[in-house]
Amino acid sequence: MLDILKELLFSSGVVSLTGGNLVMWLVSFVLLYLAIKKQYEPLLLLPIAFGILIVNLPLTYLMEPEHGLVWFFYHYGIEMDIIPPLIFLGLGAMIDFGPLIANPKTMLLGAGAQAGLYVTFFAAVLFGFDLQEAGAIAIIGGADGPTTIYLTSKLAPHLLGATAVSAYAYMALVPIIQPPMMKLLTTEKERKIVMTKLRPVSKLQKVCFPIITAMTIMLVVPPAAPLISMLMLGNLFKESGVVERLSKSASNELMNIVTIFLGLSVGATMTAGTFLSPKVLFIFFLGLFAFIVSTGAGLIMAKIMNLFLKDKINPLIGAAGVSAVPMAARCVHKVGSEANRRNYLLMYAMGPNVAGVIGTVVAAAILLQNLG
Amino acid sequence: MPDLLAPIAGNVWKILVAVGDKVELDDELVILEALKMETPIYCDDSGTVTAIKVKEGDAVNDGDVLLVIG
Amino acid sequence: MTDWSKVFEVFSSGIIGVFLVMFLLQILTQLSTRVIDFVENGKNGGAPEAVPVPKSSADPAKD
Repeated sequence: MLDILKELLFSSGVVSLTGGNLVMWLVSFVLLYLAIKKQYEPLLLLPIAFGILIVNLPLTYLMEPEHGLVWFFYHYGIEMDIIPPLIFLGLGAMIDFGPLIANPKTMLLGAGAQAGLYVTFFAAVLFGFDLQEAGAIAIIGGADGPTTIYLTSKLAPHLLGATAVSAYAYMALVPIIQPPMMKLLTTEKERKIVMTKLRPVSKLQKVCFPIITAMTIMLVVPPAAPLISMLMLGNLFKESGVVERLSKSASNELMNIVTIFLGLSVGATMTAGTFLSPKVLFIFFLGLFAFIVSTGAGLIMAKIMNLFLKDKINPLIGAAGVSAVPMAARCVHKVGSEANRRNYLLMYAMGPNVAGVIGTVVAAAILLQNLG
Repeated sequence: MPDLLAPIAGNVWKILVAVGDKVELDDELVILEALKMETPIYCDDSGTVTAIKVKEGDAVNDGDVLLVIG
Repeated sequence: MTDWSKVFEVFSSGIIGVFLVMFLLQILTQLSTRVIDFVENGKNGGAPEAVPVPKSSADPAKD
């Protein structure tokens, strides 16, 4: 009788627990708290946090290659690059490129913010990360979750958990991170600039845009193909207006389904062994740095453009060039209306904001081309 | 006679005035909701609200008339 | 040892590359807008019964 109990005890996970596991439980509980109580990106943080918890319960072998349930999700979904492009399909079906088409100049702002990403690449190398790792960390500054996961899984899969969590965490913190930078780099007078009205965009233009953009980007930077093709296909679903069912499935059901597997498998990469290293702290620090520098680069780009433009743009919208859609645009709107309460920047900021999504994908593709 | 136009596309969240109300410069008249954010629309001039062209929950486009102020 | 020439190469080719691609997109978008404007205005002017083209013209009908 006693022997049986003893055996049960020793075959249980409890005796195999390590201190590291306990720390990871704590990390998971903190993320669960942030997701549930504070509602920071709960759609992703919640499955990620639970993923962390379950892989840090010993002897479950959920991430055991060729055996574990979650390993299969991870292997087929992320290692084989299926989930991030599917998320992009759904995003495409939700994004309205209208404000960008109405004001194509803001395309450059989407590029401006990406400059910050390369500065971070440089900084990460200085910190002693190898080039592949540095590339994966830099992309956090693009503020785009699926792109971050896509690039990290190709360049530095062992950092996946850390880069993904910091990308999503900082995206949720946009309203706190961006305003100080915006106020630092712009004057009160600049923030008060009211922009000229956007021209109306016809349906035909909206239909042509994804086709032209997909062709251009894939011809110029082929490594961007998986993400950009799906993004633009989703957008074509939406704008064509003839496949509402596909558009709805892509942006609702399909997106929700893959989000579950994405979150869970990203969380499951964070075992105590891979996550608890000083490197991870640096990643969080550099990720924040990336976010701040990208915001700054976008603002500066807008100010440079103002030197040449007759119709001045409000430099605040440059900050929306990081792609956190629509958090960054909302943030711009808010800071703008604080300076001048009749300044409604939301739609103007959506232009650089969606350009930022394209810009981040292009930046990721170029990194992949150089480092992959 | 100045009409109050919607400066951005969105949904009408709240209408804070009724027909016949006297309004002044910078009064908050309507709150629009766009991208899950409430945006107050302020009065450009003083006058009396003579007509309300939208109701709460309506979707409006950029440039649509919200209120007529006489 | 870090290969600094590679770092600089990635850094500069990245920044320039992103700008070039986005600039190209800007030009193409502007160009297509111009072409589409031309086509649609041509249609509207030419045949009065033709196609319910620009969405903007349908909007005022809402109220």
